[in-house]
Amino acid sequence: MTCAEFEAVLPEMLEGEVKQEQQEHLRFCSSCFDLLSDLSLIAREARSLQSDVEPGPRVWSSVEIALRQEGLIHDPQPQMQKARRPLLWRPAWALSFGAVFLVAIAGLLYERGTGSPEVAGLGIIKPAASNATVPDDYSPDDIEVLQDVGSRTPAMLADYKANLRKVNSYVRDAEQWVRSNPSDEVAQQSLINAYEQRAVVYQMALDRSQP
Amino acid sequence: MQSSKRLVLLAAASILVLAALANAQIRSQYRFKVGRKPTISVSNEYGPVTVTPLAGKDVLVTAVVYSDKVEVDRNHSGRRVSLISHLLPGATDETGRVDYTIQVPAGAMISIHSAGGPLHIEKLNGDVTLEGTTAVMDVRDLNGAHIHVRSLDGPITLTNISDGNVEVTSVRGDVTMNAVNASRVQVSSTSGHIVYDGDFGDAGEYVLMSHTGDIEAIAPAYASFDVTARSERGQVDTDFPLQPKHTSFVVHAGSAFAGTMNKAASSVKLLSFSGKIHLKKR
Repeated sequence: MTCAEFEAVLPEMLEGEVKQEQQEHLRFCSSCFDLLSDLSLIAREARSLQSDVEPGPRVWSSVEIALRQEGLIHDPQPQMQKARRPLLWRPAWALSFGAVFLVAIAGLLYERGTGSPEVAGLGIIKPAASNATVPDDYSPDDIEVLQDVGSRTPAMLADYKANLRKVNSYVRDAEQWVRSNPSDEVAQQSLINAYEQRAVVYQMALDRSQP
Repeated sequence: MQSSKRLVLLAAASILVLAALANAQIRSQYRFKVGRKPTISVSNEYGPVTVTPLAGKDVLVTAVVYSDKVEVDRNHSGRRVSLISHLLPGATDETGRVDYTIQVPAGAMISIHSAGGPLHIEKLNGDVTLEGTTAVMDVRDLNGAHIHVRSLDGPITLTNISDGNVEVTSVRGDVTMNAVNASRVQVSSTSGHIVYDGDFGDAGEYVLMSHTGDIEAIAPAYASFDVTARSERGQVDTDFPLQPKHTSFVVHAGSAFAGTMNKAASSVKLLSFSGKIHLKKR
C-alpha cells in the first residue's frame, strides 16, 4: 500500500474501519502514522464540542482568508452574456405578433360591419350608465326584465323592448325637468308619473313571465 | 242516377265532417252559482273576452277552445270564479286561442289579464280591472264602477261611464273617452294620445297626463271646470274664454293656460312634457 492509497481510505479509517494492510503501512510509514493521529485527535475534539459553542466571526474570516490564499475560493466572475435581440425582432415572434394583430383588425372590421354583438338573443342592448344620454340604452334591471320576457314569451319581447325604451325616455326627460326646476310641482308630478309608467311595464312583464 | 246523387251527398257530408274535425274547436259552457257580487278573474293570453250582465246570481261562461294546445282551468269557490287559459308547450297565438263570453251579475267585480285580447265589458256596476299588452279594450255603459285599465300598446276606449273612479295607464296605446263623468278620472300615457269628449261632470277631478302623446279635450260651452294646462315643450291652446286664475307657475302663452269656465265645478289638469294640448269647444 502506498501513501496515496492510504490517504484515499483515510476517511473510513477515521470512522473506525482499519484494515490489516492499512495497519501494516502505519507500522512502516511514520508520516501517515502522524497524519492519522492528528486527524483522529481533531475528530475526537470536534465531537466533544458543545452545540452552543459557535466559532466567532473572526474565526470564519480567518478561514475565508486562508482559503482565498490557497486559491480554493475566489469572487464570482461576471459572465459575458450574448447580446440578445429584442423579442419582436426575432422572426418567429414577429410572425406571431403580426398574425395576432391582423386577426384583431379583422375582428374589429367584422363587428363594425354587422353591428354590435347580440346579448342573449335580445338584439342590440347596451347597459345604461347612471346618466345615460343615448336613447336606446337599457338599465341592468331592464335587461333582467327583458330576459325574463324573452325566455317565457318570446313573441312579446319586441313590444316590451319598445315600451321600455319609451318609458325610459320619459323618465330621463322628467328627471331633467325636475333638476332644472326642482320646485315645479308639475315637473315633480311628471317624474312620479314617469316612474309609475316604468313600474307598470315591469309589473306586466313579470306577470307575463309567470308560468 | 239516384246512387250517384247519394254518393255526391255522402262525399259532401264527409268533407264537412273532416273540416270540422280539422278545426278542432271545442265549445264548452259552464255555470257557477255565486251570489250577487261575485269576483270573476280571467287570464287569457290569446282570444277575445266579452263580459255582459246576466240577471240572477249565476255566472255563465262559454269558452271556445281552438286546439288541444290550450286548456281551460276553472276554479270556483263561493263567490269567486277563476278562469285560466293554460297554454301547453308549443302553443301559439292561434293554437292557444280561447274565446270567452261571460255573463255575470251586474255587481260582479271583474279582473281580466290578456295579451292580445280584444276585451269588451259593458253594462256593469262592479269594479273592473283590465290589463293587456296589445289588446284592444272597450269599456262602455258602466255606472258607479271603479275602473282600472293598464295597457302597453293596445288602444283603450271608455264610453258612457258615470260615477265611480277611472284610472288608466297606457304606454303607447291611445286612450279615448266619450261621455266619461266620474268622481275621479286619471289618465296617464307615455306616447299614446289622450282624447276626452265630455262635459267633465260635476265636482269631478280630471287629470290627463302624457310624455309625448297629444292631449285633446272636447267639451261643450256649458261645461263647468277649473282648468290648468301646461306642456313643457309642446303647443298649448284653448277655444274657451277662460276667467284667469292664479297659478304656482308662470303662464307663458302657447305653453300653458289656466282659468275657470262657468262655475268651475270640476277640476281639470291637462299636462304633458312635449305633447300638444288642445282644449276644444264642441
